[in-house]
Amino acid sequence: MEKLTISHGKSALYFKYDGEVTLDVTPELKRRLEAELAGNEVAAVVLDLSGVGFMDSSGIGFLVSINTRMRSIGKACYLCRLSPKVRKTLGLVQLLSYFQVVENEEDVAALLS
Amino acid sequence: MIRRIFEAPSAPEQSRGLAREVVGFLGNHLSDTNILHDLDIMLTEACANVARHAYGGGEGRLEVRLALVPGESVDLEIVDWGRGFDGPVRFVNPEPEAEGGRGLFIISRLSDAVAVRSEGRENIVAIHKKIGKTSWKS
Repeated sequence: MEKLTISHGKSALYFKYDGEVTLDVTPELKRRLEAELAGNEVAAVVLDLSGVGFMDSSGIGFLVSINTRMRSIGKACYLCRLSPKVRKTLGLVQLLSYFQVVENEEDVAALLS
Repeated sequence: MIRRIFEAPSAPEQSRGLAREVVGFLGNHLSDTNILHDLDIMLTEACANVARHAYGGGEGRLEVRLALVPGESVDLEIVDWGRGFDGPVRFVNPEPEAEGGRGLFIISRLSDAVAVRSEGRENIVAIHKKIGKTSWKS
């Protein structure tokens, strides 16, 4: 997955994928993120969605699963830099207010510092 | 009316490729990128449903039948020959915590009409979308 960027801040894991998030990539994305989380003690995951030009319900399921996993262990999952297509798709299924979406770039920087 | 039939194996990668192929063809006729994106999502959801459910985890035949009336509408039929639909089909948005089950709801939100039916061995998701004259290439 050459379009995948993973980095570690002081307390948050940054995860960014550039491309389409559909059924043919979500199992691998989930596997990679789960592997990172298993090997690192982080308080939060920050999912950068700026490079996602297309996302289907499988992609939505991926976001929900990570959000559920983090919340279940008392940690946080943030979405940031939503592309217009991602924003539209999450809006369609009324999940924009369900996720913790970080809109302010300064807040994103603070999470990743 | 213009009619085309597209076909691919139902594996996830090929089913997404099939949706892209159909949208590529539609791009020859439609100029509105937002509508093309809506059609792309609907096709991808319907084809992914076939990849996930139709053949019990295995691969089978997947077909998209396209009929477009320039200046008016697009009709899409996504067809498989698998095990068919389990019970009544619901077009509702599941709970936020659900990891799946949103495909048909998304299609219903983006289309003007969607119907699910079986004819003989064919299982068909039929989508109708009206598209105004200004969204077509001249």
